Amino acid sequence: MFVKPFRYERADSLADAAAMLRAADGGAKVLAGGQSLLPMLNLGLLDFDALIDVGHVGGRAHGIAREDGYLTIGALTTHRELERDAEVVADQPLVSAAVGWVGSSRIRARGTIGGSLAHSDPAAELPLAMVVTGATYDLTDGTTTRTVKATDFHESYFTTALAEDELIERVSVPVLGPGWGWGFAEVSRRRGDFAIVAAAALVRVMDGHIVESRVGLAGVGDRPMRLGAIEIAVEGAGVVDVGERVGPLEGLDTVTDVSATAEHRRHLARVLAARALTDATKRAAA
Amino acid sequence: MTAATDITVTLSVNGTTVTRTAGGHLSLLRWLRDIADVTDPKYGCGEGVCGACTVLVDGEPASACIVLAAQVDGAAITTAAGLCEADGSLGPLQQRFHEQHAAQCGFCTPGMLLCAHAMLRDADGALTRDEIREQLHGNLCRCTGYTDIVDAIEDAQSRGITR
Amino acid sequence: MTSEIHTSKLEELRVVHQPLARHDQAEKIAGTTRYAGDLAYAGMLHARLVRSQVPSARLTRRDVSAAVAVPGVVAVLLGEDVPNNEIRVDVPGQTIAVGALQASMQVLATDRVRFHGEPIALVIAETEDALAIACELVEVGYDDLPVVSDPEQALADDAPSVHDGGNLLAEWNIDRGDVDAAFADAAVVVEETYRTQFVDHAYLEPEAGVGWIDDDGVLTLRVATQVVEHYRDVAKILGVPDAKVRVIAPYVGGGFGGKEDMTVEPYLAIAVHLTRKPVRMLWTRNESLLARAKRHRNVMRYRTAAAADGTLLAHDIEILSDAGAYAYLSALVLLYSTVHACGPYRVPNVRIRSKTAYTNNPPTSAFRGFGGMQMVLGYESQIDEVARRLGIDPGEIRKRNALVRGDRLPVGQEIITEVQLAQTIDAVRERAGDKPAPSGPRKAVGRAIASNMQSYGRLVWLNDSAASWIGFQMDGSLSVRCGVPDIGGGQASSLGQIASEILAVDIDRISVHFGDSSLNPLAGTTTATRQLLMSGNATYAAAVLLRDQVLGAVAAETGQPVESLRMDTGEIVGPETRTTVLSALQICRRRNVPVEALGTFFGPKGKEVTRDLDGDRIFPDFTFGTHLADVEVDLDTGEVRILRYIAAHDVGRAINPMSVEGQIAGAVVQGLGQALLEDVVVQEGVNLTPGLFQYMIPTATDVPDIETVILESGEGLGPFGARGIGEPPIGPPIAVIPAAIADAVGARPTTLPVTPERVLEAAARGSRDA
Repeated sequence: MFVKPFRYERADSLADAAAMLRAADGGAKVLAGGQSLLPMLNLGLLDFDALIDVGHVGGRAHGIAREDGYLTIGALTTHRELERDAEVVADQPLVSAAVGWVGSSRIRARGTIGGSLAHSDPAAELPLAMVVTGATYDLTDGTTTRTVKATDFHESYFTTALAEDELIERVSVPVLGPGWGWGFAEVSRRRGDFAIVAAAALVRVMDGHIVESRVGLAGVGDRPMRLGAIEIAVEGAGVVDVGERVGPLEGLDTVTDVSATAEHRRHLARVLAARALTDATKRAAA
Repeated sequence: MTAATDITVTLSVNGTTVTRTAGGHLSLLRWLRDIADVTDPKYGCGEGVCGACTVLVDGEPASACIVLAAQVDGAAITTAAGLCEADGSLGPLQQRFHEQHAAQCGFCTPGMLLCAHAMLRDADGALTRDEIREQLHGNLCRCTGYTDIVDAIEDAQSRGITR
Repeated sequence: MTSEIHTSKLEELRVVHQPLARHDQAEKIAGTTRYAGDLAYAGMLHARLVRSQVPSARLTRRDVSAAVAVPGVVAVLLGEDVPNNEIRVDVPGQTIAVGALQASMQVLATDRVRFHGEPIALVIAETEDALAIACELVEVGYDDLPVVSDPEQALADDAPSVHDGGNLLAEWNIDRGDVDAAFADAAVVVEETYRTQFVDHAYLEPEAGVGWIDDDGVLTLRVATQVVEHYRDVAKILGVPDAKVRVIAPYVGGGFGGKEDMTVEPYLAIAVHLTRKPVRMLWTRNESLLARAKRHRNVMRYRTAAAADGTLLAHDIEILSDAGAYAYLSALVLLYSTVHACGPYRVPNVRIRSKTAYTNNPPTSAFRGFGGMQMVLGYESQIDEVARRLGIDPGEIRKRNALVRGDRLPVGQEIITEVQLAQTIDAVRERAGDKPAPSGPRKAVGRAIASNMQSYGRLVWLNDSAASWIGFQMDGSLSVRCGVPDIGGGQASSLGQIASEILAVDIDRISVHFGDSSLNPLAGTTTATRQLLMSGNATYAAAVLLRDQVLGAVAAETGQPVESLRMDTGEIVGPETRTTVLSALQICRRRNVPVEALGTFFGPKGKEVTRDLDGDRIFPDFTFGTHLADVEVDLDTGEVRILRYIAAHDVGRAINPMSVEGQIAGAVVQGLGQALLEDVVVQEGVNLTPGLFQYMIPTATDVPDIETVILESGEGLGPFGARGIGEPPIGPPIAVIPAAIADAVGARPTTLPVTPERVLEAAARGSRDA
């Protein structure tokens, strides 16, 4: 309601936006769907001179396509488009499932995948899905484009590998291969809120046993994280015992805040990782 | 401190074209309420979490407090008043809300109505009460306990009413 | 079908008792209602507060020069600019060396701040943009003082003082019977400590208003409030006569007690008074959550003695509540806690010691249930535990101990109306049927009931009164004028129903003019579940007076006995004649009989209490009820899903059953929020939950359909035998949910909110004990 005035600038292309960012010299922020940025603005948590609206740029930042074992998703794809896209549901259902947990339908209608990833909330569902699927992001400054792994992109709380004049252009998500299954489990205090803890898992099953797995958590640290020890522990497990193979996560470095204590987070991390793995194993075996 | 850039925005609000020049930093909610005197969308939180400011932007529900008016220049905006009949009397969905006592203080009601309208319009088959609740979860109400609101939406659905 | 009605003693009624769609809802649903923040004047100014960023400090500097220099800023005001910067609040029943205790707070802090969010400066500007810039430029220097963060610490001998004179704000005591002897004789003694949290009202409409100097020179405030009578407090602050301030309450976007104390009023008034221009003030949700008074968190230590047959013998209770940084209504809220502490049961031997202490937490004050509701967690958990230990059914033990007409409460008040507690217990159980089965292997289902009592109407020594005026228009339509603020509960529309019933005028030919302190007869506050009792009875009285005037005139004109006449729609019907209302009004004019009437209702009277409570009547009457909940607990995550919820209350008479059902369902869900989700988290005086993301109220997916059972004993003190129902249903949820969880996991959570962690902690205790 009481927002300090700023300049609103509309970019015609991502290159245009990158140039505007350079010109503003740190005084500008990128506005995509605005569903994370504008709440923070309204709360007085941000201070900038200009917002650069990329919501109207075209090109590679839009659309979902399947290319060589990957789904490529334009950064301006909305959560709703992602959630409802038949190709994503078929080829990487973990992403569809994760996005279904994001906010309210209003937020999903306007919020974009690029905006959500660049915001990099450690409790958010999409970055977790990207880390677990092994996605990469194409970042552009208007002249050069580089590709960064999701695991390298999300550095810490609301902090990413983006340079000051860089934007996410599109995201490449490996499709779910044959023999793989997925699982996603989350606990939040209230429907639609950020997760206290969320767990995502992908497993490949042969003859009823896990031969490969990827499991990760959101909400426990400063960024989404893979759980290598669990991935090793569940090797060879089946539907019946995969949950039991997930041992206590006593070493998990996590925090106490208003929604849960660190101890409860560690407990939930174990429960939810086990649930996500069990669901993934069931799906893979089916 | 930066001066605001004034921007001319044209929106179709409930079918009426409104053009105003105002600060480009204004949210759609402030633009509607303070610049265009359309006051049925309400400020409740400023975070997009309470749903009191829900409007339709080109038919899709949005939290007007976390959208800039400049972002949606040229769009068609529907507010709760846009669900009324041309003579200003209550539309069919609004009638269901009235008869089912789905409003008390009424502050959440404009947003609730638009949420209800969009869910009925987009429903793929009949919604159960749990599915109605699921779709209402982004619109908070502190007076009714929600039961009467779910009743009103279910009643509308059973009569084939979507708006 | 989510509601049923069980009626007794019903007289023949035409309009009252009908489930009428409320007239005010049509405008709200059409989106045309102008709430306090929706009004705008061309050229109006805007005002905003600069608030303390720390919970406890001496102010070393308040520099407004940079803020004043911002283009568009009209003025930046400090406490020194306020004509009377000190607000004094009576603290009843308490004494200092001489006379009654008064507590004070400042409109704008000048030298010391005592809580995070306390107002320090008032910025007035031509635009909200200028406010956004200027508020950040008001420079405040803080010299931090120690933070008193909880009431137990506050009462320690070496605690820093929040206010001069120590941190004990108020205390109340009850001593009845021989408590020690009762414990010595008891078959079972149950002892437990219960803790409730700070809760925010979280109505959807944040505090807002517009003020201006009207054409009559009167400073007029149109604000979201439950109390138009605050015009007197505003006049004191401005140093002007009461008659020069007017408060208008338009339809309010929710109150629940949070708009009972002043919010925007003093600041808006000062801004208008000094600029002589229209001014609007809107609080952000952040300000609302930071700075407006909360529900008290209580620590309640219960020791309960019972005989082998389950008869309650004694309660020994200590209550400690967190008054926050300023007095507000804390002493009265604690009085309610004290009087309601034993619940709807006969307890012959009682000792209660209650205290409320200042801290550097957000102020605490009125909230639906007003101190009575926290106690439900205590007395209902205790009676359950007694029942469990003695192997008695929870419904049975409640019925065995339930108050009946003629019993006296521990405070000395006699129950003068019929108590239908047992009927409410039977009603919820009959409706519920069998307990459902769990949905999976690591799930557990629990069922419980919880009963309560809650007063309606203000404390009797406050000499409460309400007035209402009804006048016929020349065409036979009716105008009702009554100062009642309508906060969403149908307060105005129920008055129309009452007038319609008595005067036989169709409801759509009646206008109710409400919420104006200058143009309406004053009806008092929309608080304390008093409006139906007070303004309802006043309107009833006005309607009866007016009816009798008109019938008297017709009787005199036609020579028929007045007793033989009655009003029917559009006419006065006698044994031989029918006279149209229009003719009757002409008759009145010819015979100098007024066609309007003022009705005044005076509440029951009693003497003011002292700190040691031992008297007679303290409240007008009480409303009783029982709730039942089925919950399912996820034993791995601690998540709780409410499967079923049924609430039964004896409401005396439902003036509008739809409004009654709505009040019950809404109060239940607000109570469920307190039971499971809501918590204003304050750490060392700093509020960590100042947004609706962090302060979580229930969504539609967190609660089930609320099924209501309305019992109508016809026994209430309101019009047509109605009891108040606004507050009572908020109490049982905070007890029935922990009890249902206890039934599921084998041990009872005793601290609110019952978070998943607390559920798992109880489950761990439960499996240890099993």
